[in-house]
Amino acid sequence: MAAEDSREPVIEVDRVVTRFGTNTVHDGVSFSVARGTLAALIGGSGTGKSVLLREIIGLHRPTEGSVRVLGTDMWQAAEAEVAEVRRRFGMTFQDGALFSSLTVAQNVAVPLAEHTKIAPEMREHLVRLRLAQAGLPADAGAKMPSELSGGMRKRAALARALALEPEILFLDEPTSGLDPATARAFDALVRSLVDNLGITVFLVTHDLDTLLTVVDRLIVLADGKVLADGPPREIARLDDAWIRSYFAIRTMVGGSPGRSDGS
Amino acid sequence: MAPQADDRLAVSGDGLQISLAGAWQLVELPALAAALAAAHPRSPLTVDGERLQSLDSAAALELVRALGAAGQDLDAVRWQGFSEQHRRVLDDVLRRRAALAEAVPARRSGWLAEIGRRTLSVYRQGIDHLGFMGETLSALLAVLAAPRRLRLRELTAQLEQACLNAIPVVILVTLLIGVVFAYLLGLQAEQYGANIFVVDGVGIGMSREFAPIIVAVIIAGRSGAAFTAQLGSMRLTEEIDAIRTLGLSPMQVLVVPRVLALLIALPLLSFIGLVAGLVGAALVADAMLGIAPMAFAERLHDALDITHVWAGLIKTPVFALAIAVIACRLGMHVGRDTRAVGMATTSTVVQSIVNVILLDAGFAVLFQELGI
Repeated sequence: MAAEDSREPVIEVDRVVTRFGTNTVHDGVSFSVARGTLAALIGGSGTGKSVLLREIIGLHRPTEGSVRVLGTDMWQAAEAEVAEVRRRFGMTFQDGALFSSLTVAQNVAVPLAEHTKIAPEMREHLVRLRLAQAGLPADAGAKMPSELSGGMRKRAALARALALEPEILFLDEPTSGLDPATARAFDALVRSLVDNLGITVFLVTHDLDTLLTVVDRLIVLADGKVLADGPPREIARLDDAWIRSYFAIRTMVGGSPGRSDGS
Repeated sequence: MAPQADDRLAVSGDGLQISLAGAWQLVELPALAAALAAAHPRSPLTVDGERLQSLDSAAALELVRALGAAGQDLDAVRWQGFSEQHRRVLDDVLRRRAALAEAVPARRSGWLAEIGRRTLSVYRQGIDHLGFMGETLSALLAVLAAPRRLRLRELTAQLEQACLNAIPVVILVTLLIGVVFAYLLGLQAEQYGANIFVVDGVGIGMSREFAPIIVAVIIAGRSGAAFTAQLGSMRLTEEIDAIRTLGLSPMQVLVVPRVLALLIALPLLSFIGLVAGLVGAALVADAMLGIAPMAFAERLHDALDITHVWAGLIKTPVFALAIAVIACRLGMHVGRDTRAVGMATTSTVVQSIVNVILLDAGFAVLFQELGI
């Protein structure tokens, strides 16, 4: 990760069109995310944020357009090539999606056992590092997912996503369902991953505090297109009805991301 | 062409300086670990990272661990030449060093404890089944006392699922059982010229044992598993809690209609199964033993006392209650994760079938004593 390639795009979404029957969800969505960025995707309900995320990570085929992750076209490249790229990114799902039959430590060890030839003893140390990086105490490793609180599940999912030292992390609603204090701690954790480990993070969220405190770049989806793209504080000042109402709540509570009255 | 691990790690002649180079990454970990194990660093140690191309946290952890294992005091090591990014990764790992030293406590126990745990769980499960049976019966009585409380819509939906939709598979299976049973009996009876007694054997066997048991096993696998899976998923999605919060009783809303549906379905299906089995037997009797369908019917009329049919049918509501109670209880009390639903469903099928057979053995003894 030398300085000159720090701006190299790692996620490129090019004119993606998604239709379900006659319902067009995305009508030519394009953007790219550079390495080492903490980017967030926002949009109202039904604007296809989660679908877009699934298209980027190769779980849902877009109707038209292309998606490149780490330079590989997720929908054109051979299966083996895509599998190779999958090893280089991590993903956390909304409710963790931990394997319920395994302990947290075993969950984190799954990708390590599947994709590397690391000796079991070393693997155990690495699992402990991942748990610590995700902000979990060491004794959480022996617990079953059903014994964890919502915040712990999200951290455990993050530890599993981090297992293979990913270059990109995709987070789906990382702070939903968490209390504000836990959510802010999670934000700080994600920020530190970007700053300390140089990971690119791409998240879908509705959490305004996340957007305004730790995110570098905001991509706003509306009416099947990218409505706005840039640093959160600039976007909050844009004169668009939806964006204004989105950020207005924040202003009412007392923060001031920009003028709420429009001009 | 992957570079040799040796290229990435050079130790100075006096062992006082280690120079790192190239890619230090997770995928290379086994080779890096081998190289680190072969290095014998001495204090005061300097680690040079100037020629590193990449360093991820897994490789940094291995470096720190190996140096620690070689007896180095990590606070005294001089780290030089690392880029800012690599230094941050290294610091992140060094900072967590203390926390990583604590081992993850293992979750293990001996075989004796395991036997004890399982025995206790079988015992508790038996008690819980009985408790749930009591709850179900009192809920049924409450419905009897106030029939308006019955969820008629749910009951009919369950009846369609458990009874109507099960008819084809019940007919298929019992018909084949009738065919096989009559064929095997016929092989023996033919030797003694006692062809007509096949009708007696099939009539009594099908009505007393085969139809009720076969149908109960089919329903245990079909409806019992479905009940547990449905109620289990409803518990996972907190639907059952929602029902309770709305001031409704899950027993009344979910359990009673299902239990009633099976109580109604099983006798009906058993009768259908009995008829299908006899039809299967009549087909074989006609083709193999020269007993025309009319002769079969007449003989059946003479040989099959109606008490045999009642003795078979009277058992079916008891089987139904056992299956429904086990299925509903395991579904309602499932653990809060997806694996638990699968285990509970399997458990329902196994426990229902075992209980049906046990109950049937009990009935056999009872009927023997009563002389039925």
